[in-house]
Order: sequence, then structure tokens, then C-alpha cells
Amino acid sequence: MTTATGPVAHRRRELPWWSRFINVLGPMIMIVALCIVMAFAQPRFFGVPNLMIILHDMAIYMVLGMAMTLVITARGIDLSIGAVAALSAVVMAMLIKDGGWNAYLAMAAAVGIGLVCGFVNSVIITRIRVPDLLATLAMDQVYRGIALVLAAGTVLAQFPDPIPFIGRGRLFDTVPVSAVVGILALLLGFVLYNYTFIGRYAAAIGGNKESAILAGINVVRHKTYQYVLMGGAAAVAGILLTGRLNAVQATVGQGFALHTIAAVVVGGTVLFGGRGTMVGTLVGVTLLSMVTNAMVMLRFPFFWQLVASGVIIIASIGFYSYMLRRDNKDKEDF
Amino acid sequence: MSEAVQPVLSMRGIDKSFGGLRAVIDGHLEAHAGEVLAIVGDNGAGKSTLIKVLTGVYQADAGEIRVGGQPAHFRNRRDSINAGIDAVYQNLALVDLLPAPANVFLGHERVVKVLGIPFLDNRGMRRETVRILQERVGVHLDGLDQPALNLSGGQRQAVAIARAVNAADLKVLVLDEPVAALGPQETKATLDLVRSVRDKGIAVIIISHNLEHVFAVADRVQVMRGGRVVGVVNTAESTKREVLGLIVGAETEEVLEA
Repeated sequence: MTTATGPVAHRRRELPWWSRFINVLGPMIMIVALCIVMAFAQPRFFGVPNLMIILHDMAIYMVLGMAMTLVITARGIDLSIGAVAALSAVVMAMLIKDGGWNAYLAMAAAVGIGLVCGFVNSVIITRIRVPDLLATLAMDQVYRGIALVLAAGTVLAQFPDPIPFIGRGRLFDTVPVSAVVGILALLLGFVLYNYTFIGRYAAAIGGNKESAILAGINVVRHKTYQYVLMGGAAAVAGILLTGRLNAVQATVGQGFALHTIAAVVVGGTVLFGGRGTMVGTLVGVTLLSMVTNAMVMLRFPFFWQLVASGVIIIASIGFYSYMLRRDNKDKEDF
Repeated sequence: MSEAVQPVLSMRGIDKSFGGLRAVIDGHLEAHAGEVLAIVGDNGAGKSTLIKVLTGVYQADAGEIRVGGQPAHFRNRRDSINAGIDAVYQNLALVDLLPAPANVFLGHERVVKVLGIPFLDNRGMRRETVRILQERVGVHLDGLDQPALNLSGGQRQAVAIARAVNAADLKVLVLDEPVAALGPQETKATLDLVRSVRDKGIAVIIISHNLEHVFAVADRVQVMRGGRVVGVVNTAESTKREVLGLIVGAETEEVLEA
């Protein structure tokens, strides 16, 4: 097997062709390994009902992961997405239940709230100059608090049709609608990343902010685009989750941020900015949703699942940090 | 240099301080189209500060900049680029994880509009990058799809210069220590490039420590010391000794060209 640990002196700047896929190769191998384990441990893992559960779960993280890939590529991070999803979903539910709003209008309002939350985050980060991590960690509390106050401890359930249809319906009795939404989001992300200013400048800002400024790129504006998009994506995730359960309360979405960041980083987007990959995010989302599902299937007690997912996140980010350090060490030999 | 030819760029009475440090005092310079002006001086002489005022990175405390005779005010680098002034910095300011075409077009990407939405024309930019590198920089680049990180020092320099040359309506090209980190062959290629850019009617300002290179490529040399301009000489009528004297502060009385 070819490994990347050959003698450093023989390394050339020309990388082998497969190195372009190295980011996706690691998680792909893990997916295969997991499938092999599950084939022996619990064949029901591959049953259509369970695959549907996995797809529904993936859909939410595809939407979140798409925007998070852009945020992280620009060397940002958003820890508030769980609370933004909860707040948007709670407001949507209350508009329908208490306000008698049309469901489509209420969904549009939810997305609007997500966009506003993202905009507020970006203002705090770019204008008040609070570091991304702390700003969104604090705003997570603010949005969560508002959602809790609004919902006042109630669970809102039983929504008119478009909402459960989006969350758990199927197109032509086969394809889950939410998975379609997720794939469309990732396709949009792919186009944004590779073919628009939004993606190109996210990579430039994350790769070398000083150079980006020298090239005349408006960093404040593009940070704003990324966080607004992230907020909108969080709202869509909130709608999908609400539809899937056909119910919502203010405490939903608490693991969104860490799970999404882990999926994005496992997929090969560099946590320290400069390079992202939507294909990698799809693979990362797939792996993490499968792992989470496998733990449920294997009847891991819920509290141990929390421990396991935390460990997986640390391990994957630690692994990529190590790879990055090693790559930089090699550079000194050039 | 007292012909009636209007300089494409002139700076006058530029002052710039950082706290108590007066980095540039009464700084001035004139750049003419189709001419290479070298700025020399010891470390801390104020060369880089003067150039950063020119490129809009710093704002002068006092003084005026004129481009083509018109007063110009640069609040940021974008203003300066829009006025036709672009710079290649010592660190090249490349985004290492992006490939050459993305770097060459960074900040002024080509777009194709589909339904009114601008999409990056990656193929067009790649093609144009090959053309610029070949026709205007005289370099053939293999790793066009690789991150700039994987290119050699000379290749990175070529990409950085291609980017500046590519800037819309370039009137003044500033090169900050362009050959400091290059080997002999790459140095020669870069100096050839400086000449070819000059011959296309662009004013080139080059900051360098190496008088050998300065005398090889520059038409005029401006010497700075302690934040002040202490002399401007024509390389054809001067010697390295004379310029060296100006740099270190000897023989100032003997050369009064400024």
C-alpha cells in the first residue's frame, strides 16, 4: 500500500494523482469499514427503513454543511447554528399555530429570521470585532434564550401539509423530499464554491487575509455573505427537523454546530481556512450520520453516544491538524 | 529631468509618522511612462512606507499625489488600483492554496453572466493566464492547476508580476525587492520582464538593495535616507560609488540633482 510517509528527501512538488482525492479517501475507507462491521453486527442497518432514517438525518447536515464549508474556508466558524435553527423553527411554528399563518409564508419568515441571525453574527464579528468563535458561542445563548422565552416550555406539533411533507415525505413514494433539499443545497454550495466570488473570496480570505485585502477584496462584505448564508441554512435545517418530527420545541438542534463542523472537517475542508470541498462535505456528512445511526442500532446507551461523538470530533480534527502540521514540516525541505 | 513631459505620477510633500516615528519626511517622487525608477536606501530609510502611501495601504499625514496631472486621494488599495497603480510586494501576496489563475485574477476575476448572475469564468482565466505568462512574462508554467504553494520562487514571482500586469489599465507598476529571493537565472528573467513592461509604456518603480541590478535596469535612481529623499540621479550619468555614497550619507554635497 502506498502511504504518504515515504522518505522526505525523495518528495517532489509533483504530487501523485490520487493525492487530489486523499481528503475523501480517508472517510471513504471509514465508511466501508463501518459497513463491513455493521454487516456482521446488525444487518438491519442496510434495510430500507434504516437507510431512510440515515438519509433524513444527512439532509439536515448537508444543508448546514454546505454553508459551514464556506464559513470555515474563510477561516470562520459558527457555533450558533443550533440555536438559530431552533429559533427560526419555533417562530415558524408559532406563526402557524398561534398566528394562523399560511405554512409557506411561515417557512419564508423562518428563513428570514435565520438570515437576520446570520447578519447579526456577521456584524458582531466584522464591526465589533469579536472573534468568530466567541461571537457565535455567545450568540448561541442569545438565540437559544429568545427561543426558550417565546416557546415558554411548550412543544408545538401537528403542522399543515407542506411542512411534514418536506421533513419526511417522499417524491414518487421513493425519494425523501428532505434528501432532495439537502442535495440541492450541496449542489448550490458546489457552484458557489467553484464558480462565484463568494467561494473564491472565501478561499482567499481564509488562505491569506492580508493578500485578499491587498487584492482589494472587501473582507467585511464577504464575511457577511458567509454568515448570512449560514443563518439561512440553519433556518432551513430547522424547518427540515420540524417537518421530520412534525413537532418542535426550543431545545432542538443542540448538537448541530459540533456535528456539522466535524462532518465538514472530516471531509477535508481545512479547519484553519483556505481550502474547502463540497464533495468532501457530502462524504463527511455521510460518514457521521452513519456512525451516529450505527451507535443507535448497536444500542449504545444514549449518554455513551454523547461521549463517542465528542471523541470522534476531537479525533478527526486532531488527525487533520496533525496532517497539516506534517505537510508544513515537509515544506521546509523545498 | 526638466523637460515639459508631464510625469504619469508625482508625489509631493508626503509626511507619514507612526506614533513618534517619522517614517517619511517631505517624501516626493516622479515616475514617467516608459521609464524605470529605482528607489534605494538603507533599511528604515522610508522606501517601503513611501510606496505603501502610493498604493493606498497607508494614508499620508500630509502631501499630495497626482496621477496624470490630476490630484488623487487613495483611501485604500482599491482606489490606487483603480487609478492604474499596482504593486508586487516582497512576500508576493499570493494566496498559497489557490492555483495560479485564481491568483493572477484575484480581485478582478472574469465572469460570464448567466441570467444576469455573474459566474467565474475559470476556463477563460486559465487560458488568459497562460497567455499573459507566455507573452508578457516569458514564462511557461506547468503546475497551473496546483496550489501556488507548490511552485518555485521564480514561478511565484512570475505569477505575482502577471497579476500586476493584468490589472486593468496599468500605468504604474511597483516592484518591492523583486529579485531578493531569486537565483541568477530567475533574476535575469525578472529583470528582462521589468524592461519589457517598461517598453510597453508603463512606468516601473522598483525598490532594491542591489545596486548591480538597479544600474542594470533603472533609468533613474532615487536615494532615501532617514525618511528623506537625498538625491535623484540618472544611471547613465552616475556611478554605483556615487549612489552608495548617497545611501550611507557621504558626498551629499557633491551630487545635487534633486
